[in-house]
Amino acid sequence: MSTYEEEHNTNRAGAGQDARRDLRSQIHDMYQENGTSNLLLQLLSQIIPESLQEELLQDQKEGCPEHFVDSLPRVNQSKLSDEESCSICCCNYKEDKYPLVVELPHCSHRFDLECVAVWLSKSTSCPLCRDDVLSHKPKIDVSTVEVEDDWGMYG
Amino acid sequence: MASLPKRIIKETERLVSDPVPGITAIPHEENLRYFQVTVEGPEQSPYENGVFNLELFLPDDYPMEAPKVRFLTKIYHPNIDRLGRICLDVLKNNWSPALQIRTVLLSVQALLASPNPNDPLANDVAEEWLQNEDNAIAKAREWTNMYASKQ
Repeated sequence: MSTYEEEHNTNRAGAGQDARRDLRSQIHDMYQENGTSNLLLQLLSQIIPESLQEELLQDQKEGCPEHFVDSLPRVNQSKLSDEESCSICCCNYKEDKYPLVVELPHCSHRFDLECVAVWLSKSTSCPLCRDDVLSHKPKIDVSTVEVEDDWGMYG
Repeated sequence: MASLPKRIIKETERLVSDPVPGITAIPHEENLRYFQVTVEGPEQSPYENGVFNLELFLPDDYPMEAPKVRFLTKIYHPNIDRLGRICLDVLKNNWSPALQIRTVLLSVQALLASPNPNDPLANDVAEEWLQNEDNAIAKAREWTNMYASKQ
């Protein structure tokens, strides 16, 4: 009589398990030796399915630094029209008695600070035009600056 | 249940008061983040005269995160797999919080009008599409008649 293993051809599966164990011990050895090497990453990427890798990469996507968001120019309430609304929360700016609206550099698209801050914490693109908000160097307007030697302290 | 953001309420209202031609989206009575969607196949596409059922779910992080959209009706399309999952940039990396339910569904409808076999999700369908386009289109039309015909 044939054995269960023969009938179900489990030898192959056994070989697969061995290969996996090899891979695992290989990774273990390498990790002990040199932390993260390219080879180690290569082996790891063999184990992690491609679709999952993409997701992992997405999660790592970095947004804008906090100080960038803090430094976005505020839009004065008098410059907001009655119909203007934030395209993220879809609410009219003037529904709020004290709207806190900011303008992105370069493309000048406006949003509630509260709304766009959440988005920019994980992305660097303008929600409306996908402009990379970090790709523009800030321009300092010096045309209207008067240089005063005494900083106006004694005037 | 947590309260529904104003934006979702506004979007839902507008979907009813000012619907997109060829598209309906109705929220579920018990879960206002879950929508039953129908999309009509675009004219002059193999999906013409078909009405496709989809489900759309707004995750907790919406609109910072894209809605989850899935075909419920079987469809022969290189960018839609047998589970109804859709390969569409705005549902993944190209999502933006300025997009809405209506714009996403318009993109889905546009995907029906222009299948892209070079960025496949259903590999067997994409292969057929690249090797014998006439056959693939005929099959898509056949599936539309079989599974998506108007009642």
